[in-house]
Amino acid sequence: MPLLEALGISKRYGGVLALNNMHFAADGGEVHAILGENGAGKSTFIQILAGAVTADAGELKLRGSTYKARGPREARRTGISPVFQELSLIADLTVAENIFFGDEQLSPLGTISQRDLSDKATALFATLGLTPIRPDAAVRTLSIGDRQIIEIVKGLATDPDILILDEATSALLPREVDWLLNKARERAAAGKLVLYISHRMDEVRRVADRVTVLRNGETVGIEAAAALSDDDIVSMMLGRRLDRLFPERRPTLTERVALKASNLKVGHQLRGVSFELHEGEVLGVAGLQGHGQRELFMALFGAQRAEGQIEVRGKPVTIRGPAHALSPEIGMALLPEDRRNQGILLGKPVRENIVLSALSRIVKRGVVDTGAERRLVDEAVAQLRIKTDSIEQAAGTLSGGNQQKVVLAKLLATEARILLFFDPTRGVDVGTKAEIFTLMRDLAARGFAILFFSTDLAELANVADRTLVMSYGRISAILEGAAMTEGAILSATLTQGVAA
Amino acid sequence: MRRWLKSPSPIFLAYAAALLLFALVTLYSPGFANPAHVATLITLASFTGIVAIGQTVVIVGGGIDLSVPWIMNSAAMLVTGLAHGQNLPLFWVVPFILVCGCTVGIINGIGIALLRVPPIVMTMSVNVITQGVLLIVTRGFPPPLSPTALTFIAAGKLGPIPMMLLLWVVLAAVLVVVERRTAFGRYLYALGSNRTVATLSGVPVVRTTITAYAISGVTAALAGMLLAGYSRQAYLGMGDPYLFTSIAAVAIGGASILGGTGSYLGTIAGALVLTILTGLLPIFRLDIGALRIIYGLVILVTVFISAPSLRELFRRRGSR
Amino acid sequence: MTTLVTLARRHVWLPPLIVLILLGAAIGIMRPSTFAIDQINIKVAAAMTLILIATGETIVVARGGIDLSVGGMLSLTTAICATRGDPGLVESIFWIGFVLVLGAVVGVVNGLIITYGKLQPFVVTLATWSILEGCALTILPAETSGVPKSWVDAEHWMPGGIGVPIMMLGVLILVWARFSRTRTYNAARAAGSNERSAYLNRVSVLGTNAWAYGLAGFFAAAAGLYFSTQTGAGHPTVGTQYVLPAIAAVVIGGTSLAGGRGTLVGTIVGAFILTLIGDVVFLLKLQSYWQWVMSGLILMLVVILTALTEQRNASGNG
Repeated sequence: MPLLEALGISKRYGGVLALNNMHFAADGGEVHAILGENGAGKSTFIQILAGAVTADAGELKLRGSTYKARGPREARRTGISPVFQELSLIADLTVAENIFFGDEQLSPLGTISQRDLSDKATALFATLGLTPIRPDAAVRTLSIGDRQIIEIVKGLATDPDILILDEATSALLPREVDWLLNKARERAAAGKLVLYISHRMDEVRRVADRVTVLRNGETVGIEAAAALSDDDIVSMMLGRRLDRLFPERRPTLTERVALKASNLKVGHQLRGVSFELHEGEVLGVAGLQGHGQRELFMALFGAQRAEGQIEVRGKPVTIRGPAHALSPEIGMALLPEDRRNQGILLGKPVRENIVLSALSRIVKRGVVDTGAERRLVDEAVAQLRIKTDSIEQAAGTLSGGNQQKVVLAKLLATEARILLFFDPTRGVDVGTKAEIFTLMRDLAARGFAILFFSTDLAELANVADRTLVMSYGRISAILEGAAMTEGAILSATLTQGVAA
Repeated sequence: MRRWLKSPSPIFLAYAAALLLFALVTLYSPGFANPAHVATLITLASFTGIVAIGQTVVIVGGGIDLSVPWIMNSAAMLVTGLAHGQNLPLFWVVPFILVCGCTVGIINGIGIALLRVPPIVMTMSVNVITQGVLLIVTRGFPPPLSPTALTFIAAGKLGPIPMMLLLWVVLAAVLVVVERRTAFGRYLYALGSNRTVATLSGVPVVRTTITAYAISGVTAALAGMLLAGYSRQAYLGMGDPYLFTSIAAVAIGGASILGGTGSYLGTIAGALVLTILTGLLPIFRLDIGALRIIYGLVILVTVFISAPSLRELFRRRGSR
Repeated sequence: MTTLVTLARRHVWLPPLIVLILLGAAIGIMRPSTFAIDQINIKVAAAMTLILIATGETIVVARGGIDLSVGGMLSLTTAICATRGDPGLVESIFWIGFVLVLGAVVGVVNGLIITYGKLQPFVVTLATWSILEGCALTILPAETSGVPKSWVDAEHWMPGGIGVPIMMLGVLILVWARFSRTRTYNAARAAGSNERSAYLNRVSVLGTNAWAYGLAGFFAAAAGLYFSTQTGAGHPTVGTQYVLPAIAAVVIGGTSLAGGRGTLVGTIVGAFILTLIGDVVFLLKLQSYWQWVMSGLILMLVVILTALTEQRNASGNG
């Protein structure tokens, strides 16, 4: 009888089926890796295990009996301890308070002794073999790496039967990764279960007994790790794709440089990046989470202060902020990462969203020319085939794909010729994806310059002309032509991650 | 039409409430609908309405202006004090005071937009400082009576129509155009809805914020002067009740205090509701205490009705 | 220098405390009698209403909210106290208990409305402020001295020259020293810091709101009780004068309105600063109106400094 078993779990978010009749089984005494591309359903499954969300259908079994967590409280009581990718620490509490939150020993007066907690935390760091982090420091003062360590320590503190490590190494130093992998092995040796979610193949190789691969919310296979080669795993993760998803790629690249960045730096996240983006080019950017691509896009757009030089169409410029970047002088527009919180005004009509960045084009003598506004919006809705009842519909009520088209329409309305696309297909249906790729290639053919980051490597391999691979804030490889296959990009991001 | 009835807009509800309230009171006491009385009610409502212009703009942009009372008090004291009961000086005194109000608003805006001070704290301290400065300047002496021209504008009538109604309608029309048809208006709603989206969409966040508070400073100063004209004299504390009523009018008018939604049209209805409620006092022999209780309940009920969570709930029920 | 900044960041109440000490020293130099025990009694007595009401506000702000209705609760309590006639001991205990429980219950109702309606604390408590003040005006239409004499006498009791306010202050600090280390307060701070993280850490949004606003109501009622026994009078609109100063005291004390943090020591210091500014102005022979300007400037200065260090913090950690 497996320790943990999932039978036919399904979960839908709006129009997206995050988990589709997925199954899973793991035993005590093993480290079990869960692999899959972004959006394959790993995080949703973890959230269900942790009681943070509830499944729409299906059953979880713990030691053979049905288990249904009605909240994080109950999950923890049953011995499931998650270490979340989105850090769940409370920034205003101290390290010790965070580690023992909710499980503190109380004095007879019902109070928590900070000294007692600190001592315990120090002792815990020692038993776990870690360099102690000051237990009375407020978490908000710590680096991301330290926060991740604390998150892990917190997960270990209760000695859970099932420890879930969700991308727990993304901000750790190599020796800290070694430590964590040893801990995971130790727990398995003690008969406990460790679920290990990571993008880093080498870590999975070193630690996992078995591997479950998810794709599009379904389980592709549960196999012994030793029985699979890296290529097997990659092909299981990627699967066979619809060929017509990607448009035919004609060379549209010109000699004219639209955007040139030299030695761009942002704190420790971006450590000197230089590249040239040509008119008519789709320049891909690849990289594991947190390797500087976000900072690169924000710095180019003027939304984050950066050092280094930027040239636009051969002219050195200082971009003072997004409003300046969008102005005709620069002509640069950004499709941001998080559509709902950065891209569109959910409560506002499609019309107002589309013209928001281009008001100067439709304001005549201080007043919005509603005729011109309507024409602009109608044109954009028709061109991008945005499915909406009317242009007065609130943008938040559209499907994910149509919301993204509204953002694209907003970008295009500005007449900017340099477009920064940060993961434009996130949470978007397949049909819209194909339309977005066609649009990108069309724009390139018309002389637009597009910088294109994607977490889906197949998109880069099939849509971009060249791909920059980012690792630890630097460009570690530039792939193009026949060398720019999906597998090659994947291994470039993975191997560079190990080497550094 | 049916869909529209199922989830009516908060603005519509506010007007419906104002009308219903008016009709009910008139049934009980027919004198309530007497044209002279209606004119008085509208005049009274217009003061709240004018202060609430600025409050609406600021709240739509995601802030709040607590400096309104002492801008009003200062404007009232200054206009009477500087004009010495004469009409002629008004030609420079009125613009001067509007500029002062604007300056105070700009200070608010700078603190909030550039120094990132929370709006509550910034406008609260500006309110207190304005209070101190005014009292130091005037040394608390009671100023002379208001100039007659000011009183004519604030309390006079053109035939049966109160002057204040005309002024209010003009200002309201301007504001509605500004809200809907200018870049500033669009920026304001974007900013109040989601500051990050607004910034990344190229909205000039700092300029928009400062402009919003400047408008609030101007309208509060204007309302303060008119109030002095209406009361024929200025006294300290005459603007104090308007902090509450201006915010309440905006809330009753259906705007979210978080910003991004609402319209001045709703605020007008809110000002009318609040004034009609005040009109209940003599008829039902209520005291001020009962009025405050009613005010509070009305605000709670309206925010509950226009709260997105509840409307969502109703919509979900309706679709099933 | 850096260590000083770090120290100030760890103990947010340190900078205001330094300001208070300077203020106290200035007053002491100008009027040497300041540090006599009866002078201290007077100062503490003068600041106590603000301290009590600001204590509740501190908890709500740490929870990430704001409570304007404490003003109404203060007014209502003074109105109730001033209309009790001449009660006996048992009756007195009953009414005092009643007032405190009423405050807590009203606060819990605030918390429930905010949580279930998913409404903004600012508007909800603005409305309940109005309702409570309305109740106060209904019970007691105008300011009257009618607070039971026995209550006033009890409050003015001075064993060994130490007044009741000083004892209250001591008790308050002791109770806070305990309370600030309970799970309840930690949960409230967690929810104020980040509701989503707090939920993942098994914190109840409803529970923390009920606790925080309940305590704010309780302390507002205590402030009202204190105010009426101190002055011997009921004042149905007095709360209006205390709402914004209470928030100001919290902010000057170093508690950020963003939530997640809250220190009573800071708040007490803030309340004393606001109270002593009047003395400084008086001793400098300035017009009394200067106290408004000065308190406003101090408040603004504190928040600007906090905002700037916070921005530096944020940019430092990326």
